[in-house]
Amino acid sequence: MRRKSIGHRQKMLTGSASRNKRRFSSGICAALLAFATIEARGQDIKPTTAPSTEPSQSSAVAAAGPTKFKKMSLDELMNVEVTSVSRHESTIGQSAAAIDVISQDDIRRSGATNIPEALRQAPGMEVAQIDNSTWAISARGFNNNTANKLLVLMDGRSVYTPLYSGVFWDVQDTMMQDIDRIEVIRGPAGALWGANAVNGVVNVITKDAQDTQGLLVSGGGGTELRNFENVRYGWAINSTTDARIYVKHFERGDTPLTNGSDGNDTWMMDQTGFRIDSRPTPDEHLTLQGDAYQGSRDNLNDADTGVSGGNILGRWTQKMNGGGDMSLQTYTDITNRAIPLLYNENRGTFDVDFQHHIPVGDWNDVTWGLGYRISLDHVKDGIIQFVPNNRAEQLFSFFAQDEIPIVKDKLRLTVGAKLEHNDFTGFEFQPNGRLLWSIDKKQAAWTAVSRAVRTPTQLEDDLQIVAPGASLIGNKHFQSERVIAYEVGYRMQPTNWLSADVAAFYNDYHHLRSLEFRPPIFSEENQLQGQTYGVEVGSTVKPTDWWTLRGAYTFLHVRFQAEPGSTDTSSAATAGNDPQNQAYLRSSFDLCHNVEFDCSGRWVSELPNQQIPGYVSMDARLAWKPIDQLELSVVAQNLLDNQHPEFGTLPGRHEIQRSVYGMFTFRW
Amino acid sequence: MIRAVRNFMNLPSLAKVSLVSLLSLGWILVAPSIAGAQPATTQPAPSEEYQIKAAYILNFVQYIDWPQATFSAADTPFTIGVLGDDPFGPALEQTFQDETIAGRKLVVKRSTKIEDLQSCHLLFISKSEKDHIPEILASLKDKSIVTVSELDQFAQRGGIVNFYLNNNKIRFEINANAAEKISLKIHSQLLKRAKIVNSD
Repeated sequence: MRRKSIGHRQKMLTGSASRNKRRFSSGICAALLAFATIEARGQDIKPTTAPSTEPSQSSAVAAAGPTKFKKMSLDELMNVEVTSVSRHESTIGQSAAAIDVISQDDIRRSGATNIPEALRQAPGMEVAQIDNSTWAISARGFNNNTANKLLVLMDGRSVYTPLYSGVFWDVQDTMMQDIDRIEVIRGPAGALWGANAVNGVVNVITKDAQDTQGLLVSGGGGTELRNFENVRYGWAINSTTDARIYVKHFERGDTPLTNGSDGNDTWMMDQTGFRIDSRPTPDEHLTLQGDAYQGSRDNLNDADTGVSGGNILGRWTQKMNGGGDMSLQTYTDITNRAIPLLYNENRGTFDVDFQHHIPVGDWNDVTWGLGYRISLDHVKDGIIQFVPNNRAEQLFSFFAQDEIPIVKDKLRLTVGAKLEHNDFTGFEFQPNGRLLWSIDKKQAAWTAVSRAVRTPTQLEDDLQIVAPGASLIGNKHFQSERVIAYEVGYRMQPTNWLSADVAAFYNDYHHLRSLEFRPPIFSEENQLQGQTYGVEVGSTVKPTDWWTLRGAYTFLHVRFQAEPGSTDTSSAATAGNDPQNQAYLRSSFDLCHNVEFDCSGRWVSELPNQQIPGYVSMDARLAWKPIDQLELSVVAQNLLDNQHPEFGTLPGRHEIQRSVYGMFTFRW
Repeated sequence: MIRAVRNFMNLPSLAKVSLVSLLSLGWILVAPSIAGAQPATTQPAPSEEYQIKAAYILNFVQYIDWPQATFSAADTPFTIGVLGDDPFGPALEQTFQDETIAGRKLVVKRSTKIEDLQSCHLLFISKSEKDHIPEILASLKDKSIVTVSELDQFAQRGGIVNFYLNNNKIRFEINANAAEKISLKIHSQLLKRAKIVNSD
């Protein structure tokens, strides 16, 4: 993406004004696409103990028979979550939202080596790999490498960058074996999670330190993932406190260009981290965790991009008499990114978040919270400039939500709103209402209406690219993008071997970012509107004790119009970056002699705007546990094609190759 | 939707074949284990909680050494006793089926009287006996029996292993001193995953 910007910039310096204009606008689009989305700056971080979002059952179908458990190791047994311990009926997820949970088992058996790969299996998620270390990830439309409508959290810490409201996926990593689950919520969860969660929230939750005791060593290598090594050690500090530390490293070989030549994007990362969990009394839980990383990536011009950073987070949760609870979370996050010639950014973010949940009488269950975040950055200009190049953005937020049982155990209404104040547009208000109908013990239906915003970022307000004949100057009056979302869903678990859930939505967007030509400069304004609608289906079927099928299907239709008076001709075309259809199916077999076999296929339909054809891809994993402590596995990815593109325009587009890696995991 | 189906039909045949063989491929690999697979049962399955505890008991037997004197011959099986109301249903037998540990099989013995279960290697004491724990443990004093239960304070009162729930996950605590006193050797793989508790 950075190379594309450099190329366009060079083209901009020559040629006539009108040629310049066309190239400039496509260049700016590329730059904007590269920087991505200006998502709400004020993303609130909601601690992972969200009271009303419990995981749906589509990924938690009950086991049929004790033979599954007797094959598990002690560690696996200790991590089985028993959702209905002393009841025999199944439970249906209680959340009035389109939520899917990717469990640790799903991550392990899919062979995913990082979080973007793990996200492919959730319904409604668009995951397109652009090159070795870049992904375009979104939900319900608007996907590009600067996708800005998805809020991503790691253990409650927001990981999108306020620079453009998107996520630098190359630095969101952890030990995959220590991820407890990834919750994917599609739809505006703005009221709880804050602005920028316009199309959804991805919440990566790592395991409690008490669940990661002992030594874990894993490593391996292959054709694309050249080598990787992970070591983690967990221990009990005392009877109420546990800790773990980890170190990991990997190197990836480059991805090819369309013509087969080297893409020159080899990538390596080192990361280390720790987590401490303490429960001094049964009602209190304290967590302290942190990570630090450093990595580099090749570029075409031979100068490496360097990234480094770290974070530290503390959270205190207290259960109270009377059924309530409260929590306080604070974190500091530091990131540095140096892309030669393009720009350098150093950023530090500090966030404090408080939340209180309290049942009030028989009719109300109230949750409210306050948050403050400050993010300071310094950008060293290159071809891309930000004016000013130092910013200290502050965000204040307040949210409140009430759950009201209109008909006890049958109909529950949740109303909530978030009020935020940010440095660009002042106050923003995001209300939402949700209704859950528990039809019976095996099925539930829900509906919701929400308003969400994506607030401006430095990309819209401060970006400056100056070229003779055509310049882009940031717009200090850029407004927030707005959406009203209407959603409806149904989920069922009629037997203990089948569960399914369906969600449908219609989103009405206004004030979307557009690129206007106001001679002599280009500027970013809010003159685009759009409508999207779609259906997402997820299901888990367990026909026998040893065979599980997990599938997802997503249909999406996206439509944009420029508002009258707009001169934007290119932004409406970016509608084509979202595939109309996606499907995923994974078949998992538990064979004899402790052998597991998983085969997964995915289909993504074409992206006509970028001339990327629809593709079908298949991954397979074979694993064997010769002894309790050791697992050996072989994973093949992208089996069907030598190489295929997922995102990007010719000619500089990278493709994803067929690859294989072998891995061992040793636990003691 | 029609377009979607047409899109699928237009995929290269390799892709279509591969997708369809996703399911069939597994059958080929699975064929040898079909013979040994559990038939679908029409009786209600024992609750998941006790299936997990039965699997834990299998692990306990694997990682605990009893003194040689508790076995009369090289092939004497492990006797797993259940005292009181049995919450396991068929889960114990299903879990122990076809399992051997150190060449010994596992057999289950049930009774409501402690006198019948004096020669067990591992004894699960049901919740129904919660008011009689001191007498039960006293009658087993000095015998190398791994007493297991799921009652508050069981390990502190002299029981060897106690199940408890933490965060919806089933965990266990071990009274290591009590185990040592009756010549039971517990392997570190089990000890390090247990909450260690001392007698009151």
